[in-house]
Amino acid sequence: MTTELAGSRGALFWLALKTGLLTVLTLGFYRFWMKTRLRRWYWSAIRPGGHPLEYVGDPVEKLLGFLFAVVVLAFYIGIVNLILMFLSFSLFQDNFAAYTASLVGVIPLWFFAQYRARRYILARTRWRGLRFGLEPGAWGYAGRALWHWALTILTLGILWPRMTFWLEKYKTDRTFFGSARMNQGGRWQMLYPAIIPLVIAAVIGALGTASFNFGEPEVAAGLWVIAAMIALYGFVHYRVVTLRLLTNAKTVNGVSLALSPSPFRVTMIYVLGTLLAAAAVFLPLVILGLLLLTIQSADVLAEVGMEDIVAPIAGAGRYMIIGASVVIYFTIFLLWSALTNVFVTLPVVRHYFSTLTLSPQDGVANIRQRPRDEFAEAEGFADALDVGASL
Amino acid sequence: MTTLRIGRTPETFSTSATYFDGTSAHPVPVSVTVDEEAHALVAHAGADFRWPLSEIREVLDQAGGDQMVIQLATDPVQRLILPDRALEPRLPNRTKRPKVTNRGPLVGWAFAAVASVALIIFVLVPAMANQLARFIPPEGERALGEVTFNQIRSALDQTGLNPVPVCENRAGLAALEKMETRLQDALPEEHGLTVAVLDHDMINAFALPGNYVVFFRGLIDNAQTPEEVAAVFAHEIGHVVSRDPTRHALRSAGSLGVLGLLFGDFAGGAAVLLLAERLIEANYSQDAEAQADVFAHQVLRDAQIAPSALATMFERFRELGGDANPFVAHFLSHPALGDRIQAAVDATPNGFQSVPVLTAAEWRALQSICD
Repeated sequence: MTTELAGSRGALFWLALKTGLLTVLTLGFYRFWMKTRLRRWYWSAIRPGGHPLEYVGDPVEKLLGFLFAVVVLAFYIGIVNLILMFLSFSLFQDNFAAYTASLVGVIPLWFFAQYRARRYILARTRWRGLRFGLEPGAWGYAGRALWHWALTILTLGILWPRMTFWLEKYKTDRTFFGSARMNQGGRWQMLYPAIIPLVIAAVIGALGTASFNFGEPEVAAGLWVIAAMIALYGFVHYRVVTLRLLTNAKTVNGVSLALSPSPFRVTMIYVLGTLLAAAAVFLPLVILGLLLLTIQSADVLAEVGMEDIVAPIAGAGRYMIIGASVVIYFTIFLLWSALTNVFVTLPVVRHYFSTLTLSPQDGVANIRQRPRDEFAEAEGFADALDVGASL
Repeated sequence: MTTLRIGRTPETFSTSATYFDGTSAHPVPVSVTVDEEAHALVAHAGADFRWPLSEIREVLDQAGGDQMVIQLATDPVQRLILPDRALEPRLPNRTKRPKVTNRGPLVGWAFAAVASVALIIFVLVPAMANQLARFIPPEGERALGEVTFNQIRSALDQTGLNPVPVCENRAGLAALEKMETRLQDALPEEHGLTVAVLDHDMINAFALPGNYVVFFRGLIDNAQTPEEVAAVFAHEIGHVVSRDPTRHALRSAGSLGVLGLLFGDFAGGAAVLLLAERLIEANYSQDAEAQADVFAHQVLRDAQIAPSALATMFERFRELGGDANPFVAHFLSHPALGDRIQAAVDATPNGFQSVPVLTAAEWRALQSICD
């Protein structure tokens, strides 16, 4: 069973622009609706076996989830930080300890939020009329993530694939499609090929450092630039290849999944897509810069007593320039978000899912429905903490 | 049986579609027709259902535009996927929201959440800050003041590169010290103060944790007599003695972060944040300012300076109100300013004998402390 893709860039562009504009006009209030509508569109564009996915999340539950997260985080930032600040100044005459403790305290919450966001999204995703689902287990996930991160950092990244595998296995083994539980097979060592470009980057970087020590700064700089570029590709490569290897080892109800995205293609989509979007906002950006410069220089001239020169842009003229700047600022903001949807997110999603196949063909037909996961808190923490679960 | 129709006969609607019953993943091929009399969509072969046209909703924001996904308003899981959009004109309530999610409790919870945040910001954080301010050791309080002082100095510089300089003209500092000694002698108990002047034209002065009193050059420039500066000085000492700045610094460390979280992550947020910050600031001031005034009146009288100098300084703020200076504007918007002027005038007994604070030369030196 292969995956068909539907939907045009034009339609997505208008949807993103329209909902983005409403978000700006409502001071951000509409963003829960924006997110829901964009997800509905993206989900419906993906049609494994010709049947579209459906996203059934409710914007109001997202708003509530956000407010709930704000209450908890308000308590955290307001009360806990206040006590930390007090202790830090009382004991160390400094706020460094408070900031550090406060930041460290957020890390588990961050992983917690990631898992909860995934649970919410899966609970609101359907295919062929059946719900997906993720079993509760966010604190278990946060604990394991902390442990694996500690190991990865202590081994200078050598155990990174181990972390990737076990965290993915934790999530996959708790994932359901209808009544069928998904299973993550394979072993963590199978992910090692994915880090090859990063190893190459590290070796070239080390060579650069060596030549710097031998008094060859030009050679060193060149090697470092090459190493940095390879490393940049290496991170995308790692993500794409581990995703491929992990997906190919997944099964649900005896059906195997297969995915064959190309890391090079994904990198090119990111690079070229971002460049295209940047080119489109370049002109408004220049205009904005000139307007701001006008206001700034008018201030400076007024300060040195040369108001006469800037008389036309004082008073009402000045407010018009400021107004124009604000409008252009939001135009850039909206264009950028709509264009990155069209030139980055959509092509990446298309590329990934166009390579998704399920076999055997009719293996999922006998799966039954699962009950609704109420989960009214939605992905509030993910939204408030911005854990990278965007889209 | 013969059916008589009046008017245009609708074209008969018939198409093949895919039906998902919401209990199994099995796609059921069905053929559907519209029963024109009963206003219902009827399925034949494979499945057997009859959906009233007014109860059918479209699943919106679908990509492609080739097919049409519909559902029943009262049923959360059944779906019918039509190969084209021919049914669209026959669905009167197509775009209405399905009644499958109960939003009532959600709205209640949303109100509860907003109320909790308000409770945290306006009750819990201030109450705790007030308690903690009493227990912070002097060296901790001092460090808190130092950090805040440097933050203010960097924040006031528009380029953000070099903090606003502290004025260090020697003769000016000597004059300021003389003024301080005069006020210190009138205090019920000794307070080790750190007094500084910042080279900035804002007409303001403020106190910080750890017994900091800070003037802006603008205030000294705009004062006509040294007594006016001394009056503001006494007022700020009032804040120091009541430890208002410590409470305030601890409080803002807590509650401003929350507001940032609420409004921070979208484009329109900065303005709201600024507004909220203002509100908190004014809230804090109303009570504390009046108390600092009362304290200042007493100290000034004991130091043989007429408390009416404070009234003169407030009047001057009011005169300068025409300027677009945000501080002055904020001060003027304060409803109690008139009362505070009156209180300072009333605090000066008839026939009060005042002794000048500085000589004319010392006053000139203080006015050029930033040169």
